Amino acid sequence: MNNRPIYPFTAIVGQNAMKLALMLNVVNPGLSGVLIRGEKGTAKSTAVRALADILPEIPMFGDDPYQLDPDGEFGIYQEIRRTLQGESAPKTLPETVLRKVRVVELPVGATEDRVVGTLDLEHALKKGEKRVEPGILAQAHRNILYVDEVNLLDDHVVDVLLDSAAMGVNTIEREGVSFSHPARFTLVGTMNPEEGELRPQLLDRFGLCVTIEGIRTAEDRVAIMERRAAFDLDAAVFAARWQAESAALADRLLTARALYPEVKVERPLLFEIARTCLEVGVDGHRGDIIMLKAAKTLAALDGRTEVATADIHTAADLVLPHRVRRQPLMEIADSVQALRADAAARLH
Amino acid sequence: MERAVYPLAAMVGQQQLRQGLLLTAINPAMGGILLRGEKGTAKSTMVRALAALLPEIEVVRGCANACSPRPNGDRCPECQRRFPVLESVTRRTRLIELPLNATEDRVAGGIDFPRSLKTGRAVFAPGLLARAHRGLLYVDEVNLLDDHIVDLVLDAAASGENRIEREGISYRHPARFVLVGTMNPEEGELRPQLLDRFGLCLEIRGCDDPEQRVALMERREAFDRDPAAFLAGYRQESDQLAGQLARARALLAGVRVTARLRGFIGELCRENNVAGHRADLVMEQAARAFAALEGATEVSIDHVRAVAPMVLLHRQRDAQQPPAPPPDGQRSDQQSEDTSSENDREQRDKSQPEDAPAPQTQPPQDASPPPSPPADQTESNDAGQKPEPEQPQETPSPPTAGRDDQLFQIGSTFRVKPLHAIKDRMVRRGSGRRSRSRIAQKKGRYVKSAQRPGEDLALDATLRAAAPFQRQRAESGDGLAVRLCEQDLHTKIREKRIGNLLLFVVDASGSMGARGRMAASKGAVMSLLLDAYQKRDRVAMVTFRRHGATVNLPPTNSVDLAGRLLAEMPVGGRTPLSAGLVKSHEQVRNYLVKNPTAQPIVIFITDGKSNVALGEGQPVEESLRLADALARDRRIRTVVVDTEEAGLVTFGLARRLAGAMAAQYFKIDDLKAQALVDIVRGQHP
Repeated sequence: MNNRPIYPFTAIVGQNAMKLALMLNVVNPGLSGVLIRGEKGTAKSTAVRALADILPEIPMFGDDPYQLDPDGEFGIYQEIRRTLQGESAPKTLPETVLRKVRVVELPVGATEDRVVGTLDLEHALKKGEKRVEPGILAQAHRNILYVDEVNLLDDHVVDVLLDSAAMGVNTIEREGVSFSHPARFTLVGTMNPEEGELRPQLLDRFGLCVTIEGIRTAEDRVAIMERRAAFDLDAAVFAARWQAESAALADRLLTARALYPEVKVERPLLFEIARTCLEVGVDGHRGDIIMLKAAKTLAALDGRTEVATADIHTAADLVLPHRVRRQPLMEIADSVQALRADAAARLH
Repeated sequence: MERAVYPLAAMVGQQQLRQGLLLTAINPAMGGILLRGEKGTAKSTMVRALAALLPEIEVVRGCANACSPRPNGDRCPECQRRFPVLESVTRRTRLIELPLNATEDRVAGGIDFPRSLKTGRAVFAPGLLARAHRGLLYVDEVNLLDDHIVDLVLDAAASGENRIEREGISYRHPARFVLVGTMNPEEGELRPQLLDRFGLCLEIRGCDDPEQRVALMERREAFDRDPAAFLAGYRQESDQLAGQLARARALLAGVRVTARLRGFIGELCRENNVAGHRADLVMEQAARAFAALEGATEVSIDHVRAVAPMVLLHRQRDAQQPPAPPPDGQRSDQQSEDTSSENDREQRDKSQPEDAPAPQTQPPQDASPPPSPPADQTESNDAGQKPEPEQPQETPSPPTAGRDDQLFQIGSTFRVKPLHAIKDRMVRRGSGRRSRSRIAQKKGRYVKSAQRPGEDLALDATLRAAAPFQRQRAESGDGLAVRLCEQDLHTKIREKRIGNLLLFVVDASGSMGARGRMAASKGAVMSLLLDAYQKRDRVAMVTFRRHGATVNLPPTNSVDLAGRLLAEMPVGGRTPLSAGLVKSHEQVRNYLVKNPTAQPIVIFITDGKSNVALGEGQPVEESLRLADALARDRRIRTVVVDTEEAGLVTFGLARRLAGAMAAQYFKIDDLKAQALVDIVRGQHP
């Protein structure tokens, strides 16, 4: 669209929890997304865009609206072609291109058929051909799906969204269309809790959750203003100045991605995870599983192949607060320490 | 699309769940299974795993409907035409998923547009119900399914046949399937009629044993790292399980039930007060399946005992404990199903017992006290003293703080009668389940069509519009049987239920404190709030007492927040009803400016004894005048819940208030869904 540089991720002041959660998800998309709760104007969307900007480019077929991976999804590509166009499936790999990871936005007013995809009926009637308009979920495959104000989204849209996020597949069953395509994406949702909470069911589907606030110290606020002013003055120069740090971060993320499968966890630490979840009282087992993944990703991000106790504590703060079984009168807690203290107090 | 599915054999713990799923796979006559449970307990994963263990069946080659090639099987019109020349193939029984966003025509089937146009005659495109014939129909989050889709599924499940009479098609085909559903009860309950369609019902919880949780994490990690290797690692156990299933299925036909045991089953069902006879039949089938699984050829009493809880869980009508009270204080109406009625929609609203049993009134009290009352709370407390909500007291409580302030617990909650907005012709967007409305989304029931451009084309109407011109347009020669122009296009007008804004205007004056009226009133408000959560409404709250009215809660989706404010609301002082009216009018007006098509419902909970006027006049007269002004906007619907105690001397002021606004008028007891039935039966004065 335009060539204006994007504000560099490394130049964002503060908001470490949010930055960490985003980085973890980029390293390991299996963490199923981040929910960022907080006020307006706290660099949420800047951070998401900036992070996407430093990621390595991904290969895809030249004209493929479903953004399938040439490495491993060619079979699906053929299948989709066959179902939708009825044409004989291409036998050879079409041309592949490299493209930047995109941030696909889901607007609050999005209708369900825009999200899921739908049949272009008018085309069908006039030309006698089936043409499917791929939805936002198809665009988001292998990219980042950014949902602003996720708590204001229509309930059924959120249901569809989270269903695909959990399964990695989007199934269209409407208006004479019946087919599915892969939809694996990094889900980033933001919300302002003053506008009402998400339903617990939906809350649980987000892997990580961070609460952010505006920065309180005067120095940091000044730093933000100075950097922003410098960026607005000459974006290219500003980006160049942060080039080295951005490259270093990109490197670190890639290394972590490669390292992740090697990361090992000692059994006692698994028990620590299980005990933490039991103590604070979470529903089901999603908390345990995500916490383990998050701890492993943290270790990988740190360049280690061994999960440390500290990783588990950090992971707990990102994974548990929004999962704790809440009584109607309870707020979402800020830290897991507080929750455990509460739980201990109740016992004695 | 094939995806690696976590195998059933690798499941940690959840013995009952595994058993239930196996029984479902062994004996379809049992009628499927419903898994209820908290989130993140692998409900959906396990159902998908079940698909890999289903038996092979013989079907007609090329039949979308999976018709049986046997002479005595049901046949779809297509197979009927070709009968008896039917080629058969063997394939695995299918598990068909019904996604929540499926449209009516995809579920029941509809016209295949492109082929119809090419050939010039209506070609039927079978829907999910056709594909599910002789297989399993799986609905994830079945309690969130749209009502009109539920109707289709129920209709087919009840008759074993799917009949389509819409959009100019008339078609019928057999549709006998086994329903499998998962749900999280926090999100609302199922309609009793649908609930009864599930043979078994299981309550699923996470395991509490750290050992098991660790094992579960380890396996899940191993699976995520390399699904293929993981599956290979469990191949042997999976094969074993599949072998066990195959043996059980072969054995099933020969499993006998003695007459004595049938008597026992009947007795068991009677003792548990189940409605209808489905429970007896299901229990017998389930016990046979269980016996077959154990390798027995005759059902023993232990087999019956083992399956009885799964059969009865969702059918008992006087369960002592509602299963797993949801954490956010919603009531679970699980234990009160009326299963025998055909017109269940009305029935659903009437069939509830009077008061919810005690446990359901607990959550607000049980909850740990909030760290501090929210900011708006202090505002309303002009005496400057905060009430102390953490007192664990009986109803009503002694005064805890403030000069004359009292704090009352929330009284018992109940299921409320349906309240709707008035139906009009406005087109809206949104979700929820309260009032029917025209809808500007491709969702909801297709009621009629109109000539206008748009995406949501109505094929039948468009074709009818184009029909007279076909001869004239025939020259274009593009190979299509039907030619359409812009002016033929008709789009669908759809109808669906959506949520409303419910504005609660609560009288918190001293007169409400008398003899526990406030506890009952709070109970009524709480009941309405729980109903609002399930119907996905927005809520707002205004309270009035002493000298003025306060907006405690501006319009929000957070019913939780409203519940919390309600629990903390102190009572005391005089009754400035007029101020309450003005304040609520202000709120509703602002809301309507932002959402011009909204239909707010304003609910007054008061005894109407206005005694503080805004101006010089009589307080009561003034409030009636203001009420009349509020009701002039036709978009606003008003409801008055009269809290005045019935007795020898009543003032009936709330009734006059209702009259002035042309509002629906209820005593608290009339609000209960059950009360209507009582009135009809003449049991209620």
